[in-house]
Amino acid sequence: MIDAPGPWASGAFTLIEGHSVIDTEAIVTDGADRTWLQTEDRSPTLRLRANPHYWDRRRGPRVAEVEFRNDLPPERALELVCDTVGEVDLVTEVPPTAAGRVRRSRHARLVAVDAVRVLAGAIDRSAEGLPLVDVRARRALNLAVDRRALADDVLDGHAHPLAGLTPPTPLTALHRAPGRLRPYPHNPDEAARLWRAVGGAHRPLRLATFGSWEAVAHAVAAQWHTALGLAVDVTALRGADAERDARRRQAAKLPRDWDVLLVDHGAQSVDVPPLELHRAFVGRSGEFRAGPVDPEFERLFTRLRSRTSQLGQVLAANRIDRYVSSQALALFLVAPRALYAVNHDVDFRPYATTFELADTSVRRGHWSTRQRGTPVAT
Amino acid sequence: MVDPSPLNWLYITYNTVEEPVRVTHRGKVRPAAMRSYRWRGRRTLEIRVRPGDRFADGTTLTADSVRRALEEQFRWEAPHPPGTHFNIDRRSRVEIVDEHIVRLHMPEVDGLVLGKLRATHVMSDRFWADLGFGYARNRSGEGHW
Repeated sequence: MIDAPGPWASGAFTLIEGHSVIDTEAIVTDGADRTWLQTEDRSPTLRLRANPHYWDRRRGPRVAEVEFRNDLPPERALELVCDTVGEVDLVTEVPPTAAGRVRRSRHARLVAVDAVRVLAGAIDRSAEGLPLVDVRARRALNLAVDRRALADDVLDGHAHPLAGLTPPTPLTALHRAPGRLRPYPHNPDEAARLWRAVGGAHRPLRLATFGSWEAVAHAVAAQWHTALGLAVDVTALRGADAERDARRRQAAKLPRDWDVLLVDHGAQSVDVPPLELHRAFVGRSGEFRAGPVDPEFERLFTRLRSRTSQLGQVLAANRIDRYVSSQALALFLVAPRALYAVNHDVDFRPYATTFELADTSVRRGHWSTRQRGTPVAT
Repeated sequence: MVDPSPLNWLYITYNTVEEPVRVTHRGKVRPAAMRSYRWRGRRTLEIRVRPGDRFADGTTLTADSVRRALEEQFRWEAPHPPGTHFNIDRRSRVEIVDEHIVRLHMPEVDGLVLGKLRATHVMSDRFWADLGFGYARNRSGEGHW
Protein backbone atom coordinates (compact mmCIF):
# COMPACT_ATOMS: atom_id res chain seq x y z
CA MET A 1 0.00 0.00 0.00
CA ILE A 2 1.09 3.56 -0.60
CA ASP A 3 1.52 5.58 2.59
CA ALA A 4 2.05 9.02 1.07
CA PRO A 5 1.75 10.91 -2.22
CA GLY A 6 4.64 10.78 -4.65
CA PRO A 7 5.72 9.74 -8.15
CA TRP A 8 6.62 6.31 -6.87
CA ALA A 9 5.62 3.95 -9.64
CA SER A 10 4.59 3.40 -13.25
CA GLY A 11 0.82 2.96 -12.94
CA ALA A 12 -1.79 4.90 -14.89
CA PHE A 13 -2.13 7.50 -12.13
CA THR A 14 0.02 9.09 -9.45
CA LEU A 15 -1.18 9.68 -5.91
CA ILE A 16 -0.92 13.45 -5.39
CA GLU A 17 -3.01 14.03 -2.27
CA GLY A 18 -4.25 12.00 0.70
CA HIS A 19 -3.88 8.41 1.75
CA SER A 20 -5.83 5.16 1.96
CA VAL A 21 -3.97 2.62 4.05
CA ILE A 22 -4.66 -0.07 6.62
CA ASP A 23 -3.27 -0.85 10.02
CA THR A 24 -2.63 -4.55 10.24
CA GLU A 25 -2.61 -7.12 13.02
CA ALA A 26 -0.96 -10.46 12.32
CA ILE A 27 -2.91 -13.65 12.95
CA VAL A 28 -1.23 -17.05 12.79
CA THR A 29 -3.46 -19.34 10.76
CA ASP A 30 -1.19 -22.38 10.83
CA GLY A 31 2.52 -22.82 11.54
CA ALA A 32 4.37 -20.11 9.64
CA ASP A 33 1.24 -19.00 7.78
CA ARG A 34 -0.27 -15.64 8.58
CA THR A 35 -3.13 -13.45 7.59
CA TRP A 36 -3.64 -9.83 8.64
CA LEU A 37 -6.63 -8.18 10.27
CA GLN A 38 -7.15 -4.83 8.65
CA THR A 39 -8.30 -1.47 10.01
CA GLU A 40 -8.80 1.27 7.45
CA ASP A 41 -7.24 4.71 7.69
CA ARG A 42 -8.25 7.13 4.93
CA SER A 43 -7.88 10.85 4.50
CA PRO A 44 -11.18 12.72 3.87
CA THR A 45 -10.26 13.14 0.23
CA LEU A 46 -7.66 11.54 -1.99
CA ARG A 47 -6.59 12.64 -5.45
CA LEU A 48 -4.93 10.82 -8.34
CA ARG A 49 -3.40 12.58 -11.32
CA ALA A 50 -2.79 11.03 -14.75
CA ASN A 51 0.76 9.69 -15.14
CA PRO A 52 2.13 11.12 -18.42
CA HIS A 53 4.74 8.33 -18.61
CA TYR A 54 2.23 5.44 -18.49
CA TRP A 55 3.19 3.16 -21.37
CA ASP A 56 -0.21 1.76 -22.39
CA ARG A 57 -1.71 4.82 -24.06
CA ARG A 58 -4.47 2.73 -25.60
CA ARG A 59 -5.69 1.83 -22.13
CA GLY A 60 -5.37 5.24 -20.56
CA PRO A 61 -5.43 7.24 -18.46
CA ARG A 62 -8.35 9.11 -20.03
CA VAL A 63 -9.12 11.62 -17.30
CA ALA A 64 -6.72 14.21 -15.92
CA GLU A 65 -7.61 13.68 -12.28
CA VAL A 66 -9.68 11.45 -10.05
CA GLU A 67 -10.90 12.47 -6.62
CA PHE A 68 -12.00 9.96 -3.99
CA ARG A 69 -14.39 11.39 -1.43
CA ASN A 70 -13.91 9.36 1.73
CA ASP A 71 -15.84 11.87 3.82
CA LEU A 72 -19.21 10.70 2.47
CA PRO A 73 -21.18 7.80 3.94
CA PRO A 74 -22.28 5.36 1.20
CA GLU A 75 -25.98 6.24 1.58
CA ARG A 76 -25.28 9.94 1.10
CA ALA A 77 -23.00 9.18 -1.83
CA LEU A 78 -25.82 7.24 -3.50
CA GLU A 79 -28.15 10.21 -3.06
CA LEU A 80 -25.59 12.52 -4.63
CA VAL A 81 -24.80 10.34 -7.64
CA CYS A 82 -28.49 9.74 -8.30
CA ASP A 83 -29.85 13.23 -7.67
CA THR A 84 -27.09 15.72 -8.45
CA VAL A 85 -24.37 16.52 -10.96
CA GLY A 86 -20.80 17.43 -10.11
CA GLU A 87 -20.77 16.01 -6.58
CA VAL A 88 -20.19 12.27 -7.10
CA ASP A 89 -19.67 10.48 -10.42
CA LEU A 90 -19.38 6.91 -9.26
CA VAL A 91 -20.23 4.82 -6.20
CA THR A 92 -18.99 1.25 -5.79
CA GLU A 93 -20.46 -1.62 -3.77
CA VAL A 94 -24.06 -0.61 -4.31
CA PRO A 95 -26.22 -2.98 -2.26
CA PRO A 96 -28.75 -5.00 -4.31
CA THR A 97 -31.56 -3.38 -2.35
CA ALA A 98 -30.50 0.04 -3.73
CA ALA A 99 -30.21 -1.09 -7.36
CA GLY A 100 -33.76 -0.05 -8.22
CA ARG A 101 -33.18 3.44 -6.87
CA VAL A 102 -30.15 3.84 -9.14
CA ARG A 103 -32.05 2.52 -12.16
CA ARG A 104 -34.82 5.05 -11.61
CA SER A 105 -32.48 7.97 -11.01
CA ARG A 106 -32.19 10.94 -13.30
CA HIS A 107 -28.42 11.25 -13.39
CA ALA A 108 -26.97 7.76 -12.82
CA ARG A 109 -27.16 4.30 -14.31
CA LEU A 110 -26.53 0.90 -12.76
CA VAL A 111 -23.42 -0.97 -13.94
CA ALA A 112 -22.99 -4.60 -12.93
CA VAL A 113 -20.27 -7.21 -13.35
CA ASP A 114 -20.03 -10.91 -12.55
CA ALA A 115 -17.40 -10.52 -9.88
CA VAL A 116 -15.00 -13.22 -8.80
CA ARG A 117 -16.41 -13.38 -5.31
CA VAL A 118 -18.52 -15.79 -3.33
CA LEU A 119 -20.98 -15.65 -0.47
CA ALA A 120 -20.46 -18.93 1.33
CA GLY A 121 -20.57 -20.41 4.79
CA ALA A 122 -17.65 -21.69 6.81
CA ILE A 123 -18.97 -24.83 8.53
CA ASP A 124 -17.55 -25.76 11.92
CA ARG A 125 -17.02 -29.46 11.36
CA SER A 126 -16.14 -30.02 15.01
CA ALA A 127 -19.20 -28.29 16.52
CA GLU A 128 -20.47 -30.10 19.63
CA GLY A 129 -24.13 -31.10 19.67
CA LEU A 130 -24.41 -30.97 15.88
CA PRO A 131 -23.54 -33.73 13.40
CA LEU A 132 -21.48 -31.48 11.11
CA VAL A 133 -18.45 -33.80 11.21
CA ASP A 134 -20.54 -36.12 9.01
CA VAL A 135 -20.54 -35.29 5.31
CA ARG A 136 -24.22 -36.30 5.13
CA ALA A 137 -25.14 -33.51 7.53
CA ARG A 138 -23.18 -30.94 5.55
CA ARG A 139 -24.82 -32.15 2.34
CA ALA A 140 -28.20 -31.86 4.03
CA LEU A 141 -27.51 -28.21 4.87
CA ASN A 142 -26.61 -27.57 1.23
CA LEU A 143 -29.55 -29.52 -0.21
CA ALA A 144 -31.99 -27.59 2.01
CA VAL A 145 -30.96 -24.23 0.53
CA ASP A 146 -32.83 -22.72 -2.42
CA ARG A 147 -30.04 -20.76 -4.09
CA ARG A 148 -32.19 -19.47 -6.91
CA ALA A 149 -34.61 -17.98 -4.40
CA LEU A 150 -31.72 -16.34 -2.54
CA ALA A 151 -30.41 -14.84 -5.78
CA ASP A 152 -33.78 -13.74 -7.15
CA ASP A 153 -35.80 -12.83 -4.09
CA VAL A 154 -33.29 -11.73 -1.46
CA LEU A 155 -30.62 -10.25 -3.73
CA ASP A 156 -33.03 -8.93 -6.39
CA GLY A 157 -31.44 -11.02 -9.16
CA HIS A 158 -27.97 -9.60 -8.60
CA ALA A 159 -26.32 -12.93 -7.83
CA HIS A 160 -25.81 -16.37 -9.33
CA PRO A 161 -26.23 -19.73 -7.59
CA LEU A 162 -22.88 -21.11 -6.55
CA ALA A 163 -21.54 -24.55 -7.53
CA GLY A 164 -18.54 -25.35 -5.40
CA LEU A 165 -16.49 -22.27 -4.61
CA THR A 166 -15.72 -21.11 -8.16
CA PRO A 167 -17.91 -18.14 -9.10
CA PRO A 168 -19.64 -18.55 -12.47
CA THR A 169 -18.09 -15.94 -14.76
CA PRO A 170 -17.37 -16.25 -18.50
CA LEU A 171 -13.74 -17.10 -17.80
CA THR A 172 -14.39 -19.70 -15.10
CA ALA A 173 -16.55 -21.82 -17.39
CA LEU A 174 -13.54 -24.02 -18.16
CA HIS A 175 -12.74 -24.45 -14.49
CA ARG A 176 -16.23 -25.73 -13.90
CA ALA A 177 -16.69 -27.74 -17.12
CA PRO A 178 -14.90 -31.04 -16.45
CA GLY A 179 -17.24 -33.19 -14.40
CA ARG A 180 -20.11 -30.75 -15.02
CA LEU A 181 -20.08 -29.40 -11.50
CA ARG A 182 -23.51 -28.00 -10.72
CA PRO A 183 -24.97 -26.31 -7.66
CA TYR A 184 -26.53 -28.54 -5.03
CA PRO A 185 -30.18 -28.83 -6.10
CA HIS A 186 -32.86 -27.57 -3.76
CA ASN A 187 -34.09 -30.93 -2.49
CA PRO A 188 -35.75 -30.59 0.94
CA ASP A 189 -36.87 -34.24 1.03
CA GLU A 190 -33.38 -35.64 0.47
CA ALA A 191 -31.98 -33.05 2.89
CA ALA A 192 -34.44 -34.19 5.57
CA ARG A 193 -33.62 -37.85 4.94
CA LEU A 194 -29.89 -37.25 5.33
CA TRP A 195 -30.40 -35.06 8.41
CA ARG A 196 -32.49 -37.78 10.08
CA ALA A 197 -29.91 -40.41 9.12
CA VAL A 198 -27.18 -38.60 11.05
CA GLY A 199 -29.36 -38.17 14.13
CA GLY A 200 -30.32 -34.51 13.73
CA ALA A 201 -29.33 -31.70 16.08
CA HIS A 202 -29.24 -31.69 19.88
CA ARG A 203 -29.37 -27.92 20.08
CA PRO A 204 -30.09 -24.93 17.82
CA LEU A 205 -27.56 -24.20 15.09
CA ARG A 206 -25.85 -20.82 15.46
CA LEU A 207 -25.64 -19.00 12.14
CA ALA A 208 -23.57 -15.81 12.15
CA THR A 209 -23.02 -13.30 9.41
CA PHE A 210 -21.65 -9.85 8.83
CA GLY A 211 -24.26 -7.09 8.76
CA SER A 212 -24.71 -6.68 5.03
CA TRP A 213 -25.77 -10.32 4.54
CA GLU A 214 -28.30 -10.49 7.37
CA ALA A 215 -31.29 -10.92 5.04
CA VAL A 216 -29.58 -13.87 3.35
CA ALA A 217 -28.84 -15.45 6.73
CA HIS A 218 -32.48 -15.20 7.81
CA ALA A 219 -33.63 -16.71 4.50
CA VAL A 220 -31.21 -19.62 4.88
CA ALA A 221 -32.31 -20.14 8.49
CA ALA A 222 -35.95 -20.27 7.39
CA GLN A 223 -35.15 -22.78 4.64
CA TRP A 224 -33.26 -24.99 7.10
CA HIS A 225 -36.09 -24.82 9.58
CA THR A 226 -38.65 -25.74 6.93
CA ALA A 227 -36.67 -28.58 5.39
CA LEU A 228 -34.90 -30.04 8.41
CA GLY A 229 -37.00 -28.87 11.35
CA LEU A 230 -33.79 -27.29 12.57
CA ALA A 231 -33.89 -24.42 15.05
CA VAL A 232 -31.46 -21.70 13.96
CA ASP A 233 -30.21 -18.73 15.97
CA VAL A 234 -29.10 -15.95 13.61
CA THR A 235 -26.54 -13.40 14.73
CA ALA A 236 -25.61 -10.40 12.61
CA LEU A 237 -22.17 -9.04 13.47
CA ARG A 238 -22.49 -5.27 13.12
CA GLY A 239 -19.70 -2.75 13.18
CA ALA A 240 -16.01 -2.94 12.52
CA ASP A 241 -15.11 -4.16 16.02
CA ALA A 242 -17.51 -7.10 15.97
CA GLU A 243 -16.40 -8.08 12.49
CA ARG A 244 -12.73 -7.82 13.36
CA ASP A 245 -13.19 -9.89 16.52
CA ALA A 246 -15.02 -12.61 14.59
CA ARG A 247 -12.34 -12.67 11.92
CA ARG A 248 -9.60 -12.77 14.55
CA ARG A 249 -11.18 -15.72 16.39
CA GLN A 250 -11.86 -17.58 13.20
CA ALA A 251 -8.45 -17.10 11.58
CA ALA A 252 -6.63 -18.02 14.80
CA LYS A 253 -8.94 -21.02 15.37
CA LEU A 254 -10.00 -19.72 18.79
CA PRO A 255 -13.31 -20.89 20.36
CA ARG A 256 -16.22 -19.71 18.24
CA ASP A 257 -19.72 -18.67 19.09
CA TRP A 258 -21.15 -19.81 15.78
CA ASP A 259 -21.51 -23.09 13.85
CA VAL A 260 -21.81 -21.61 10.37
CA LEU A 261 -20.36 -18.21 9.46
CA LEU A 262 -21.52 -16.55 6.23
CA VAL A 263 -18.76 -14.50 4.62
CA ASP A 264 -18.19 -12.93 1.24
CA HIS A 265 -14.74 -13.44 -0.16
CA GLY A 266 -13.13 -12.61 -3.47
CA ALA A 267 -10.14 -13.51 -5.60
CA GLN A 268 -7.76 -11.21 -7.45
CA SER A 269 -7.90 -13.23 -10.67
CA VAL A 270 -9.88 -16.01 -12.32
CA ASP A 271 -6.86 -18.05 -13.32
CA VAL A 272 -6.60 -20.21 -10.20
CA PRO A 273 -9.59 -19.59 -7.91
CA PRO A 274 -8.43 -22.15 -5.29
CA LEU A 275 -5.44 -19.97 -4.33
CA GLU A 276 -7.74 -17.48 -2.64
CA LEU A 277 -11.19 -19.08 -2.39
CA HIS A 278 -10.97 -22.84 -1.73
CA ARG A 279 -7.79 -22.42 0.32
CA ALA A 280 -9.46 -19.77 2.48
CA PHE A 281 -12.42 -21.99 3.41
CA VAL A 282 -10.75 -25.40 3.52
CA GLY A 283 -6.96 -25.16 3.30
CA ARG A 284 -4.41 -25.61 6.07
CA SER A 285 -3.69 -21.86 6.03
CA GLY A 286 -7.31 -20.94 5.42
CA GLU A 287 -8.53 -17.97 7.40
CA PHE A 288 -12.10 -19.36 7.34
CA ARG A 289 -11.30 -23.06 7.84
CA ALA A 290 -13.39 -24.36 10.73
CA GLY A 291 -12.44 -27.94 11.36
CA PRO A 292 -9.45 -30.19 11.04
CA VAL A 293 -6.98 -29.97 8.16
CA ASP A 294 -8.22 -32.11 5.28
CA PRO A 295 -5.30 -34.21 3.94
CA GLU A 296 -6.97 -34.92 0.59
CA PHE A 297 -7.55 -31.22 0.01
CA GLU A 298 -3.89 -30.52 0.82
CA ARG A 299 -2.82 -33.22 -1.64
CA LEU A 300 -4.97 -31.74 -4.39
CA PHE A 301 -3.71 -28.23 -3.63
CA THR A 302 -0.08 -29.38 -3.80
CA ARG A 303 -0.90 -30.93 -7.16
CA LEU A 304 -2.34 -27.61 -8.35
CA ARG A 305 0.84 -25.81 -7.31
CA SER A 306 2.92 -28.29 -9.29
CA ARG A 307 1.15 -27.45 -12.55
CA THR A 308 2.72 -24.70 -14.66
CA SER A 309 0.54 -24.97 -17.79
CA GLN A 310 -2.78 -23.17 -17.89
CA LEU A 311 -4.66 -26.32 -18.90
CA GLY A 312 -3.02 -28.30 -16.12
CA GLN A 313 -4.02 -25.64 -13.61
CA VAL A 314 -7.62 -25.55 -14.85
CA LEU A 315 -7.93 -29.32 -14.50
CA ALA A 316 -6.30 -29.34 -11.08
CA ALA A 317 -8.54 -26.48 -9.91
CA ASN A 318 -11.58 -28.36 -11.14
CA ARG A 319 -10.59 -31.44 -9.14
CA ILE A 320 -10.33 -29.28 -6.03
CA ASP A 321 -13.73 -27.73 -6.68
CA ARG A 322 -15.36 -31.12 -7.19
CA TYR A 323 -13.77 -32.49 -4.01
CA VAL A 324 -14.80 -29.49 -1.90
CA SER A 325 -18.31 -29.71 -3.31
CA SER A 326 -18.72 -33.49 -2.90
CA GLN A 327 -17.51 -33.31 0.71
CA ALA A 328 -19.68 -30.24 1.34
CA LEU A 329 -16.74 -28.55 3.02
CA ALA A 330 -18.59 -25.23 2.94
CA LEU A 331 -22.11 -23.95 2.59
CA PHE A 332 -22.26 -22.92 -1.05
CA LEU A 333 -24.69 -20.06 -1.55
CA VAL A 334 -24.34 -17.46 -4.32
CA ALA A 335 -21.87 -15.38 -6.26
CA PRO A 336 -23.01 -11.76 -5.75
CA ARG A 337 -22.56 -9.38 -8.69
CA ALA A 338 -20.64 -6.18 -8.05
CA LEU A 339 -22.88 -3.14 -8.61
CA TYR A 340 -21.91 0.46 -9.36
CA ALA A 341 -23.89 3.67 -9.64
CA VAL A 342 -22.33 5.71 -12.44
CA ASN A 343 -23.09 9.19 -13.73
CA HIS A 344 -24.58 9.13 -17.24
CA ASP A 345 -21.67 11.11 -18.67
CA VAL A 346 -18.99 8.77 -17.34
CA ASP A 347 -17.82 5.79 -19.40
CA PHE A 348 -16.91 3.17 -16.85
CA ARG A 349 -16.32 -0.50 -17.58
CA PRO A 350 -16.01 -2.58 -14.40
CA TYR A 351 -13.41 -5.21 -13.62
CA ALA A 352 -14.37 -8.62 -12.23
CA THR A 353 -11.73 -8.56 -9.50
CA THR A 354 -10.63 -5.00 -8.89
CA PHE A 355 -11.60 -1.33 -9.12
CA GLU A 356 -9.37 0.39 -11.66
CA LEU A 357 -9.94 3.60 -13.56
CA ALA A 358 -7.23 3.68 -16.25
CA ASP A 359 -9.75 3.23 -19.06
CA THR A 360 -12.54 5.30 -17.53
CA SER A 361 -13.42 8.45 -19.46
CA VAL A 362 -16.01 11.21 -19.44
CA ARG A 363 -18.23 12.37 -22.28
CA ARG A 364 -18.40 15.82 -23.77
CA GLY A 365 -21.34 16.85 -21.63
CA HIS A 366 -19.68 15.89 -18.36
CA TRP A 367 -19.77 18.65 -15.74
CA SER A 368 -15.96 18.85 -15.49
CA THR A 369 -15.54 19.61 -19.20
CA ARG A 370 -18.07 22.40 -18.88
CA GLN A 371 -16.60 23.89 -15.71
CA ARG A 372 -12.87 23.28 -16.00
CA GLY A 373 -12.18 22.26 -19.57
CA THR A 374 -10.26 19.16 -18.42
CA PRO A 375 -11.90 15.83 -17.60
CA VAL A 376 -12.02 15.07 -13.89
CA ALA A 377 -13.97 12.33 -12.15
CA THR A 378 -15.22 12.61 -8.59
CA MET B 1 -15.58 8.54 -6.55
CA VAL B 2 -16.92 6.98 -3.41
CA ASP B 3 -15.58 3.49 -2.79
CA PRO B 4 -16.79 1.93 0.47
CA SER B 5 -14.87 -1.28 -0.24
CA PRO B 6 -12.49 -2.29 2.57
CA LEU B 7 -10.02 -3.02 -0.23
CA ASN B 8 -9.81 0.63 -1.27
CA TRP B 9 -6.17 0.75 -0.06
CA LEU B 10 -5.41 -2.00 -2.58
CA TYR B 11 -7.31 -0.33 -5.40
CA ILE B 12 -5.40 2.91 -4.85
CA THR B 13 -2.22 0.83 -5.16
CA TYR B 14 -3.41 -0.86 -8.34
CA ASN B 15 -4.35 2.50 -9.89
CA THR B 16 -0.92 3.99 -9.23
CA VAL B 17 1.49 1.05 -9.29
CA GLU B 18 2.28 -1.63 -11.83
CA GLU B 19 3.10 -5.22 -11.14
CA PRO B 20 4.63 -7.65 -13.62
CA VAL B 21 1.04 -8.74 -14.28
CA ARG B 22 -2.38 -7.12 -14.05
CA VAL B 23 -5.85 -8.52 -14.69
CA THR B 24 -8.24 -7.92 -17.57
CA HIS B 25 -11.81 -6.74 -17.15
CA ARG B 26 -12.89 -10.35 -16.87
CA GLY B 27 -10.20 -11.14 -14.31
CA LYS B 28 -7.59 -12.89 -16.42
CA VAL B 29 -3.93 -12.38 -15.54
CA ARG B 30 -1.95 -10.71 -18.33
CA PRO B 31 1.44 -9.01 -18.62
CA ALA B 32 1.71 -5.41 -17.38
CA ALA B 33 5.13 -4.16 -16.26
CA MET B 34 6.50 -7.27 -17.92
CA ARG B 35 6.18 -7.61 -21.67
CA SER B 36 6.25 -11.41 -21.60
CA TYR B 37 7.34 -14.42 -19.59
CA ARG B 38 8.38 -17.98 -20.20
CA TRP B 39 9.19 -20.98 -18.10
CA ARG B 40 12.78 -22.20 -18.41
CA GLY B 41 12.40 -25.63 -16.91
CA ARG B 42 9.85 -26.08 -14.15
CA ARG B 43 11.40 -23.92 -11.47
CA THR B 44 12.69 -20.88 -13.36
CA LEU B 45 10.45 -18.09 -14.60
CA GLU B 46 12.02 -15.69 -17.08
CA ILE B 47 10.50 -12.20 -17.15
CA ARG B 48 11.11 -9.66 -19.90
CA VAL B 49 10.31 -6.07 -19.04
CA ARG B 50 9.07 -3.55 -21.54
CA PRO B 51 11.88 -1.40 -23.02
CA GLY B 52 11.26 2.29 -22.46
CA ASP B 53 8.82 1.85 -19.55
CA ARG B 54 9.19 4.73 -17.09
CA PHE B 55 8.16 5.56 -13.58
CA ALA B 56 6.17 8.70 -12.93
CA ASP B 57 9.39 10.48 -11.83
CA GLY B 58 10.83 9.89 -15.30
CA THR B 59 13.36 7.21 -14.31
CA THR B 60 13.51 3.96 -16.25
CA LEU B 61 11.88 0.68 -15.23
CA THR B 62 14.36 -2.12 -15.92
CA ALA B 63 14.98 -5.74 -15.06
CA ASP B 64 16.73 -4.46 -11.96
CA SER B 65 13.47 -2.80 -10.82
CA VAL B 66 11.78 -6.22 -10.90
CA ARG B 67 14.74 -7.80 -9.10
CA ARG B 68 14.48 -5.25 -6.34
CA ALA B 69 10.70 -5.69 -6.05
CA LEU B 70 11.20 -9.43 -5.57
CA GLU B 71 14.15 -9.18 -3.20
CA GLU B 72 12.53 -6.48 -1.04
CA GLN B 73 9.57 -8.85 -0.70
CA PHE B 74 11.80 -11.72 0.36
CA ARG B 75 13.03 -9.68 3.36
CA TRP B 76 9.71 -10.18 5.13
CA GLU B 77 7.89 -13.24 6.47
CA ALA B 78 4.36 -12.06 5.67
CA PRO B 79 4.48 -8.91 3.53
CA HIS B 80 1.05 -9.17 1.91
CA PRO B 81 -2.06 -8.12 3.89
CA PRO B 82 -4.25 -10.94 2.51
CA GLY B 83 -1.78 -13.46 3.92
CA THR B 84 1.20 -15.67 3.30
CA HIS B 85 -0.52 -17.52 0.46
CA PHE B 86 0.76 -14.71 -1.77
CA ASN B 87 4.36 -15.34 -0.72
CA ILE B 88 6.86 -16.37 -3.35
CA ASP B 89 9.36 -18.75 -1.74
CA ARG B 90 11.89 -16.56 0.08
CA ARG B 91 14.67 -18.99 -0.80
CA SER B 92 14.27 -18.03 -4.47
CA ARG B 93 17.21 -16.45 -6.28
CA VAL B 94 16.85 -13.57 -8.71
CA GLU B 95 19.23 -13.35 -11.68
CA ILE B 96 19.62 -10.32 -13.94
CA VAL B 97 20.34 -11.50 -17.47
CA ASP B 98 20.45 -8.06 -19.07
CA GLU B 99 18.72 -4.71 -18.80
CA HIS B 100 15.38 -6.18 -19.83
CA ILE B 101 15.48 -9.81 -18.68
CA VAL B 102 15.32 -11.16 -15.16
CA ARG B 103 15.01 -14.76 -14.02
CA LEU B 104 13.35 -16.03 -10.87
CA HIS B 105 14.91 -19.31 -9.76
CA MET B 106 12.62 -21.04 -7.27
CA PRO B 107 13.69 -23.93 -5.04
CA GLU B 108 10.44 -25.79 -5.76
CA VAL B 109 7.87 -25.77 -8.54
CA ASP B 110 5.23 -23.10 -7.97
CA GLY B 111 2.72 -22.88 -10.79
CA LEU B 112 0.81 -20.27 -8.81
CA VAL B 113 3.64 -17.78 -9.07
CA LEU B 114 2.12 -15.84 -11.98
CA GLY B 115 -0.90 -14.96 -9.87
CA LYS B 116 1.38 -14.09 -6.96
CA LEU B 117 3.23 -11.62 -9.17
CA ARG B 118 0.05 -9.52 -8.94
CA ALA B 119 1.27 -8.67 -5.44
CA THR B 120 4.84 -7.85 -6.52
CA HIS B 121 4.76 -4.07 -6.82
CA VAL B 122 7.49 -2.65 -9.06
CA MET B 123 8.66 0.66 -7.60
CA SER B 124 11.17 3.40 -8.36
CA ASP B 125 14.52 3.71 -6.54
CA ARG B 126 13.21 6.88 -4.93
CA PHE B 127 10.28 4.98 -3.44
CA TRP B 128 12.54 2.40 -1.81
CA ALA B 129 14.81 5.16 -0.47
CA ASP B 130 12.14 7.59 0.78
CA LEU B 131 9.05 5.56 1.68
CA GLY B 132 9.05 1.79 1.14
CA PHE B 133 6.16 -0.46 2.03
CA GLY B 134 5.82 0.56 5.67
CA TYR B 135 9.56 1.16 6.01
CA ALA B 136 9.28 4.88 6.82
CA ARG B 137 5.99 4.51 8.70
CA ASN B 138 6.54 1.33 10.73
CA ARG B 139 10.20 0.48 10.15
CA SER B 140 8.91 -2.84 8.87
CA GLY B 141 7.41 -4.21 5.68
CA GLU B 142 5.42 -6.92 7.44
CA GLY B 143 1.78 -6.82 6.38
CA HIS B 144 2.23 -3.54 4.54
CA TRP B 145 2.73 -4.40 0.85
